[in-house]
Amino acid sequence: MKPEIDPPRDHLDEALIAPGQTLESVTRTISDIPLKHPYPRFWWTGFLVAFALVMLLLTSIAWLFTRGIGIWGVNVPVAWGFAIVNFVWWIGIGHAGTFISAILLLLHQTWRTSINRFTEAMTLFAVACAGLFPILHLGRPQFFFWLLPYPDSMGLWPQFRSPLEWDVFAVGTYATVSVIFWYVGLLPDLATMRDRAVTRFKARIYGLFSLGWRGDARHWVHYQKLYILLAGLAAPLVVSVHTIVGLDFAIAILPGWHSTIFPPYFVAGAIFSGFSMVLTLIIPLRAIYKLQGLITARHLDLMAKVMMATGWIVIYGYLEEFFNAWRSGDIFERFVDVNRAIGPYAGYFWVLMACNVIAPQFLWSRRLRSNVVVLFVVALMVNVGMWIERFVIVVTSLHRDFLPSSWGMFHATFWDYATLAGSVGLFLALLFLFLRFLPAISMTEMRGFVAKKGTDS
Amino acid sequence: MESPHQPTAAPATPDFWRSLDERALTPEFHERLVREFPFVATLAPSELDRRHFVKLMGASIALAGMTGCVRRSVDKIVPYVVAPETAIPGRPDYYATAMTVEGFARGIVVDSHEGRPTKIEGNPDHPESLGATDAITQAAILSLYDPDRSRGPRSKAGTGDWAAFESEWAKHQGALLTAQGEGLALLIEPTSSPSLRRELQRILEHFPKARWYQHTPLAAYETGGVQADYDFAQADVILTIGSDCLYRHPAALRYSRAFAGRRRVENGRVRMNRFYALESTPTVTGTLADFRLPASPARMRVVLNAIALAIAHNPPSAGDLSPAEMNFVRALADDLRQHAPAVVCIAGAEEDADIQRWALALNAHSGAGGKTVRFLASQRSDSDRASAGDLTALGGAMRRGEVTRLFILGSNPVYTAPADLDFAGLLSKIAFSVHHGSHADETAALCTWHLPESHWLETWGDLRAYDGTATILQPLIERLFDTRSSLEILRLLTAPPGTQAYDMVHETWQHESSGSDFDVHWSRWLNAGVVDGSAAPAIAGPAVDGSFPVLTPPTTEASPVLILQPDATILDGRWANNAWLQELPKPLTQLVWDNAALVSPAFASRLGIASGDLLALSVGLQTLDAAAWIMPGQADDCITLSLGYGRTAAGSVGTGRGFDAYRLRTTEALWRRSGLQVRKIGGRYALVTTQQHFSMEGRDLVRVVPPDALSVPPPVANPTLYPAWKSSGYAWGMSIDLSTCLGCNACIVACQAENNIAVVGKDQVARGRQMHWIRVDTYFEGDPANPRVVHQPVPCMQCENAPCELVCPVGATTHSSEGLNDMVYNRCVGTRYCSNNCPYKVRRFNFFDLRPSPDALSILQQNPNVTVRERGVMEKCTYCVQRINAARITAEKEDRPIRDGEIKTACQQACPAEAIVFGNLADPESKVSRRKREPTNYLLLEDLNTRPRTTYLAKVRHPAGGTAS
Repeated sequence: MKPEIDPPRDHLDEALIAPGQTLESVTRTISDIPLKHPYPRFWWTGFLVAFALVMLLLTSIAWLFTRGIGIWGVNVPVAWGFAIVNFVWWIGIGHAGTFISAILLLLHQTWRTSINRFTEAMTLFAVACAGLFPILHLGRPQFFFWLLPYPDSMGLWPQFRSPLEWDVFAVGTYATVSVIFWYVGLLPDLATMRDRAVTRFKARIYGLFSLGWRGDARHWVHYQKLYILLAGLAAPLVVSVHTIVGLDFAIAILPGWHSTIFPPYFVAGAIFSGFSMVLTLIIPLRAIYKLQGLITARHLDLMAKVMMATGWIVIYGYLEEFFNAWRSGDIFERFVDVNRAIGPYAGYFWVLMACNVIAPQFLWSRRLRSNVVVLFVVALMVNVGMWIERFVIVVTSLHRDFLPSSWGMFHATFWDYATLAGSVGLFLALLFLFLRFLPAISMTEMRGFVAKKGTDS
Repeated sequence: MESPHQPTAAPATPDFWRSLDERALTPEFHERLVREFPFVATLAPSELDRRHFVKLMGASIALAGMTGCVRRSVDKIVPYVVAPETAIPGRPDYYATAMTVEGFARGIVVDSHEGRPTKIEGNPDHPESLGATDAITQAAILSLYDPDRSRGPRSKAGTGDWAAFESEWAKHQGALLTAQGEGLALLIEPTSSPSLRRELQRILEHFPKARWYQHTPLAAYETGGVQADYDFAQADVILTIGSDCLYRHPAALRYSRAFAGRRRVENGRVRMNRFYALESTPTVTGTLADFRLPASPARMRVVLNAIALAIAHNPPSAGDLSPAEMNFVRALADDLRQHAPAVVCIAGAEEDADIQRWALALNAHSGAGGKTVRFLASQRSDSDRASAGDLTALGGAMRRGEVTRLFILGSNPVYTAPADLDFAGLLSKIAFSVHHGSHADETAALCTWHLPESHWLETWGDLRAYDGTATILQPLIERLFDTRSSLEILRLLTAPPGTQAYDMVHETWQHESSGSDFDVHWSRWLNAGVVDGSAAPAIAGPAVDGSFPVLTPPTTEASPVLILQPDATILDGRWANNAWLQELPKPLTQLVWDNAALVSPAFASRLGIASGDLLALSVGLQTLDAAAWIMPGQADDCITLSLGYGRTAAGSVGTGRGFDAYRLRTTEALWRRSGLQVRKIGGRYALVTTQQHFSMEGRDLVRVVPPDALSVPPPVANPTLYPAWKSSGYAWGMSIDLSTCLGCNACIVACQAENNIAVVGKDQVARGRQMHWIRVDTYFEGDPANPRVVHQPVPCMQCENAPCELVCPVGATTHSSEGLNDMVYNRCVGTRYCSNNCPYKVRRFNFFDLRPSPDALSILQQNPNVTVRERGVMEKCTYCVQRINAARITAEKEDRPIRDGEIKTACQQACPAEAIVFGNLADPESKVSRRKREPTNYLLLEDLNTRPRTTYLAKVRHPAGGTAS
């Protein structure tokens, strides 16, 4: 592949928004989606499919609570299965939003403007899905609150040496900050919606949630300060959450888990999967809602590049694992890696390699990268690949550990798949509701962007 | 208060009421009460007033106090340790009795909590137990509470009761008396019970023309009324020929104890025997051998002939034998010559008669008679001259129409009869047939009457052990159902109903003992569980001159030989309805809930068979489809199938599992059948094991050392940043001797019985969810045709640096001050991280609610001192912490420290080889501390620095291919 040179900077800004977009057109384009409900057929079809999956999730959970964890395929030695894989996968997906909103904001990457609202929403919904699994996977989910440090009448506290305990704090903080960040960002837009709503009822509801935003200059001053502060608060969380999730594994003495590369490699993997999920969702949505003017080819191109960069950190993680296993001389560590590649789960491993290592390399080519179909397929593959990566880490490490006598296999059951599909349904259903009722792109920031462009030129 | 509440008269004027009580009687009020407080309404039946209620309540409480929830036997029983008058609720009583093992006695002590027998232990005073038990003995307690047991008599016509049977029998009795019992036949299993044999004698006197037949599908441990008995403690060289004498033999526990004594490293020394095994299919005993040679039945004869020649200094010709066979013959012949007469040769009871004679000849040739081998009069009734023969003889008589009335006691011939006998067809033609058994089984279905049999823990009886020692069986519990014992049924044949088994046993022994103070003796016998001085004296053996019979190999056919053998856990099918035994992994294969056709790896690759493939086995007129299992160490050209499976009426647990090997059995060929045709039929069958991988993968898990270099690298103190674990007072630890571990799995069932461990079923084991707290890992090493086999029991290691404790977010698994890794069930939320982080994978999780329902009969078996775990909770070995605490309480009351050996874990107590030792590591002189100082002591996965409290002693074994020393 021949090296390509980035186009000059002015051309870049140009590409971040289609020509001819005005303050008014931006607002109209964005606010019409919730207010006028265009393409109802697409929305209803999509929402009902997702809703059916939510019902499947509820059925699965009801059956799980009735019968117990045994309805899944987990066993001894593979005591963690789909629930943990799904948890890590969803948490990873949830990383793109905050990364885009907070870190790119702090780095003054203006291209984040047209996608940050959507990715933040995606983050919240992914974290909601992720948050389900640690509770569902408990043998006695009714006692999940024992992991919380509350003043128990018997003087019992959680066991703070356990990484699962750290998880409670990491994920809890992340979810809280993400919700606040997202909501604060929504405030001016909710006010716009209130003002543009055609029925009194809608105006009331939007008005209620806009907390009396009037566009006062003082509002804007406080708002900007708060927003940047929250971004500063959220930025380290991007790193901390998946570091802790990585430590869930790295703290264990299990070969295949016990590795110091896990925290950074997990963080990179999370952003990798988050961006791939953003692309997977945004490519069809911008086509359907005709948002190419706001989410341009340039956006897709930049996201593809972030994906490639983080993808390479992940590849480095893979290599590092193999190298360290070989270099340590530890027979158990070496066995795990060989077993991953040629053992009973070798199929998963090679699909993982194809999805996460091979597929993103096609994006080196500008021609392929700018082809939305190719980009969509690659992003989808990375999504699958990242799920399989967590499966490989969780299951192949557990299924053959120290004593060959206790080696076993994990066979997923219908309910494993049903819960996974149901969580995807929950995620999509929430996204559809978000599209239906809230502005999917930040009108405020887009207007600012258009205005700034106007003054610049 | 003085006005009595009259519940009778309805109020005259319903519009007024004088008292609330009266009002309560109106139907409207009651209806409203039901509507408002349905629960209260059921508590207050309208026809009961308060006084009556209080009276009845008082009476119930008083009566409840009298009976408790105890079903105590009304007969006199004498406790083993604690007298009944001192019985304290919460403290278990122990009673000595015996159970039958293939007709022989095994002395046991039964642990009884408030009148519920809960656990069986070995009786240390009994010569065939020595305090130990095997897996079946441990599991036997569960069969007492089998919900499928027959609960009352049943006639073919429909329901029935004892009175109906007795009146019907009275009619037959009259007719039989005039005919002197002609046409009456009895079929029982060979028995060692003096009372039963006395009663049979009585029946034959009463009905001189009656016939008594005996049937067991298992082999007899005697020839011509003579039993051979072996002294493994004195034997320097052992040769077993297809014998599993350390695992399945009436004297297996005694033999194991003696054998283990010659394999145990003590103070850095071991007085090793040299153990050779020649067998067609791997047995627990055979795989312990230093030198094991797999040989098909035909090759076995060739090899034995060669050994006979080699002993007489005639080197076998190389053309006849393979190199492996040649090495085996040479080494064995050298050893036999050198070590005579300290030699034991034992042939399996299922081997052909000429091979049995060969074994006797070798013992005679070596001069072992009277030294390591002695002979006893047969203790079982096999060769009783009063008996009219076996099942074949009965079948002949039935076919000739000589049997009109048939009693089948405790036997299930419709299921266990050889296929060519068509016993079911013959039985259905008998006009009056009675089956007496614990279950309404295959035979019961075809009999005129089925009479339920009392469990041996519910009734009186007596039995003799293999060495002749007699035990009086005493009941531990009042009969749970309306059942009778076989003694009582036999008495019913000749006498009016009503005689109790107790009187009959008492009568027998009054007869036997000539002494005056019989009652004193009787009490002592019951107390000790043995009748003193009842062991059989040695007698002259069969006339064998020490010349070897020449064994003629069968005319060689290309087709393989079918070998039938009793099943490792459910024997001939009699334990098929015992869920503990069904879920107990069968030694060597680790199969559960099924049997399988064992094929050698070479045979499998020739026919392209994989484990789980369905095979059509046909031999003669019989065919059977069975799933294949590739068994390393299986001899080529033979296929082994165990009996006991494929039952059609075993009960809810045992029915319809596995493959019925009896369908391939004929009266002529009970154990070996040549001319087998094997064909793959293309289907698959789910065979489930608790272990899927049998290679150690080159990992340092089981260490094996030769007897002349008794040491392993000493444990290294791994560096750590953390301070050493400080233990205060006791420091509990365990040592497991791999050199003596037989791999018999008795510890697994013992643990299950002690700790209320649930059974999960075949599909759950297939998912890897078995609950056993201790497992016995089996590893094969070397050539799959004849691998070296090692066993490793793995309970919780009770690590000092326990990886499980670190990762639990709620602190549900913590360290005790005495070094136990405690599991707090109440606190567990079920993250299962502890299991993931356990390198030994000893933790077990309640994936479903595995608790028995509160009204299940089996709940009576449960140990009240062990918490029953609920759904979603992790559990694991506790080192039997309830036993530690019981000992602590006793010791504190007596103001002394806990003595060494005072606490025995359940696995330790069951182990016939004394391979497991538990105790206080803080005491340098405790048995466990001494064992841990042996040079063969090592830690499993030592590099992980988990510092396990459970350690191992390396297996001592002569190197393969070694020559005589």
